[in-house]
Amino acid sequence: MTPVAGSVSLSLALGFGLIAVLTLFIYTKNQDQRLFFVGQRLALGVSFFVFLATFILSYQLMISNFDIDYVARYTSIETPTIYKISALWAGQSGSLLFWLFILSIFSTITILQNQQKHYSLIPWVIISLTITQIFFLILTNYVTNPFKPTEADFIVANGNGLNPLLQNITMAIHPPTLYLGYVGFSVPFAFAISALINRDTSPLWIQSIRRWTLVAWLFLSMGIILGGWWAYQELGWGGYWAWDPVENASLMPWLTATAFIHSIIIQEKKDMLRLWNMVLIILTFALCIFGTFLTRSGVMSSVHSFTESSLGPIFLSFVFFILIASFGIMYSRLDDLKSPKKIESFTSRESGFLFNNMIFVVLCFAVFWGTLFPVISEAVRGYKITVGAPFFNQINTPIGLILLGLTGIGPLLAWRRTGTKNLIRKFTLPIIICFISIILFLLIGYKGYVVISFSLCIFVTTAILSEFYLGIRVRKNKFDESLHNALINMISKNRSRYGGYIVHLGIVFMFVGFTGHAFDREKEFSLQIGQVEHLAGYEFELLDLSESERPNHYAWISKIKVTDYQGQFITNLYPEKRVYFHNNPDVNRRQPHSELDIYSTLNKDIYSIFSSIDNQKQIAFLKIMINPLVRWVWIGGYILVFGTLIALWPRKEE
Amino acid sequence: MKKNKFTLLIIGVVTITGFWISWVSYNPADEKAMATFISVNELINNNISKRIKLGGLVKDGSIAISEANQLDCNFILKEGSSELYVKYDKTRPDLFKNGAEVIVAGRYTDGVFYADELQTKCASRYEGDLRNESSYNLIEVGQ
Repeated sequence: MTPVAGSVSLSLALGFGLIAVLTLFIYTKNQDQRLFFVGQRLALGVSFFVFLATFILSYQLMISNFDIDYVARYTSIETPTIYKISALWAGQSGSLLFWLFILSIFSTITILQNQQKHYSLIPWVIISLTITQIFFLILTNYVTNPFKPTEADFIVANGNGLNPLLQNITMAIHPPTLYLGYVGFSVPFAFAISALINRDTSPLWIQSIRRWTLVAWLFLSMGIILGGWWAYQELGWGGYWAWDPVENASLMPWLTATAFIHSIIIQEKKDMLRLWNMVLIILTFALCIFGTFLTRSGVMSSVHSFTESSLGPIFLSFVFFILIASFGIMYSRLDDLKSPKKIESFTSRESGFLFNNMIFVVLCFAVFWGTLFPVISEAVRGYKITVGAPFFNQINTPIGLILLGLTGIGPLLAWRRTGTKNLIRKFTLPIIICFISIILFLLIGYKGYVVISFSLCIFVTTAILSEFYLGIRVRKNKFDESLHNALINMISKNRSRYGGYIVHLGIVFMFVGFTGHAFDREKEFSLQIGQVEHLAGYEFELLDLSESERPNHYAWISKIKVTDYQGQFITNLYPEKRVYFHNNPDVNRRQPHSELDIYSTLNKDIYSIFSSIDNQKQIAFLKIMINPLVRWVWIGGYILVFGTLIALWPRKEE
Repeated sequence: MKKNKFTLLIIGVVTITGFWISWVSYNPADEKAMATFISVNELINNNISKRIKLGGLVKDGSIAISEANQLDCNFILKEGSSELYVKYDKTRPDLFKNGAEVIVAGRYTDGVFYADELQTKCASRYEGDLRNESSYNLIEVGQ
């Protein structure tokens, strides 16, 4: 009975959505206030039924009702409760419902928040959001219904269970975080479309979505970082980013969105780049849908694509619909999008932002090109050429480094024009320190990109710190404040600016971590108890091999003693080889899993994988990697979140 | 500042990066940057010696792991009716097993494919058939 209620909710939501769009559309023509209220409430009704459907599916997952196909496929009786809930976004139809669920939360918040303001914008905002909901409702109703009953000629007494790789706390939060980011951009997009249709392209719509955009950007950033963190902890190839199509799918909207949050500052302050901002938000939203498409269709062979499915063409049509409709409307409004002001000088902050924007878009195009290269090559040459991580690294490293450099240069430039005197005053110190560091790194023996990257990191850090220093000095002189108070007051008076600088600092930390990749070392070897092996000045001794049967798996545990070249004890590592579903008589249904052990310091990570075990001879086959500076990436992630929160924190008077 | 200076600048940036991207696409620095994806049949018939990528299924019961070194293994890759003998000597992915769908990259010499990369297609098991109670031992339930 309850599963039926879920299905019915989804159907009702679809019906409500269609009527809501129709009523609001008529309202925009005849301005009959009653129609607006009907449309608005119908739109809230869509979200309500989506909530209901989501809660029903979650409840069915919790009580393990295997009469629902989705529940039987992604959970089993022994699946821990938290992963029964996270199973909601583990599979295809569930994750689409979950997308819809988040969109409905955002849509509800937008409608309720704007009851008293933005009268002119809000009808088309609701229409745009509801059309997006309708798209996902069509998918969940007709293409891949999460409430589909189980079809089997036997009684399903237990489900298949959740993939052990997904039974990880990071994996329980990574998809929702990423989705909050993806879906979050539908609100700024809806405002943009509404502004276009209403011919109201002044900075007003930008002000109303600045915070939304930052929140969406924050979640997207966190989602990407968490994904990398999960891959590093669980997948066992020693890295956090593989330029996998689905990783690229989340990076592309992030790049255009990052460009967008920079260039809206110019529109807010100077009313420039109106057209450009429209292009960026449309691209960002289209890339978010495209990202969902890449994840959920089997078009790319990737570890993420759950199954070959019929979703591909439908998603692609929707992406084309968004692009054609949005750019069509934009084209018809070109006159309104002419900015009244022009950029005055190369050495202005405006032009710095413009450069930064171009590089972000170029970087996004490079990623897009590489991601679709197999498809393009197949279409053009008739055979498929796959591209790997080295391709992306080669193309993107110089572009990324230019971007890093701009992170340091941009904020030092003044609005309109930076005078020569000012240029010298602001850039002398960072450039001197940068040159000294180049010489030092060359003396140490570093080469090529490593020197450039580390020196640029130092350049940017110096530039940011000197901005902080100057700001604090001004306050100290002007208001006679203590250092501590001056810092706090300076940041709280100008949260978005200093929050932004802190985010930049986080990016610098991440670049330090990325550069560490150039020093990676790895070795695969076998050890019997008591034997030793060496790598990068460390000694690895296998002390012990033990086994243990645990609630949902069987584990072989190795104990490896790590000492440095002076014989100093560093740590013991305990990588495990596990077998999930080990009691299953069907050997092919048992699921081996390597549980890594990582010893992490600021300087380097020692990453150990238990590849295989020879039970008779008691030999452990191990893979050890030395990954320098990886921790800087995660620290950079924390700094980025912290900085964004500062920029987001509301002022008291608001 | 005149508007066309900025237009020139934008054209400049686009041209340079366009050139850079196509240059890397034609001359990747690392041989692992790009690999042609072909079928097993094409490989055997044309005896291609450059590094390529293949996809297929691991033939049931064909996985043989060396007694002396568990990292050495060989198996038969099936794609349709074509079969290929593959050798691989690195850490195998957890989902690698008989019947699994895999992608391998490497070189073909004298009838043997020496793979340097082995990827399994994830989650195939989890989209698989539902568990049949009658053929299944429920011992793990309730533990």
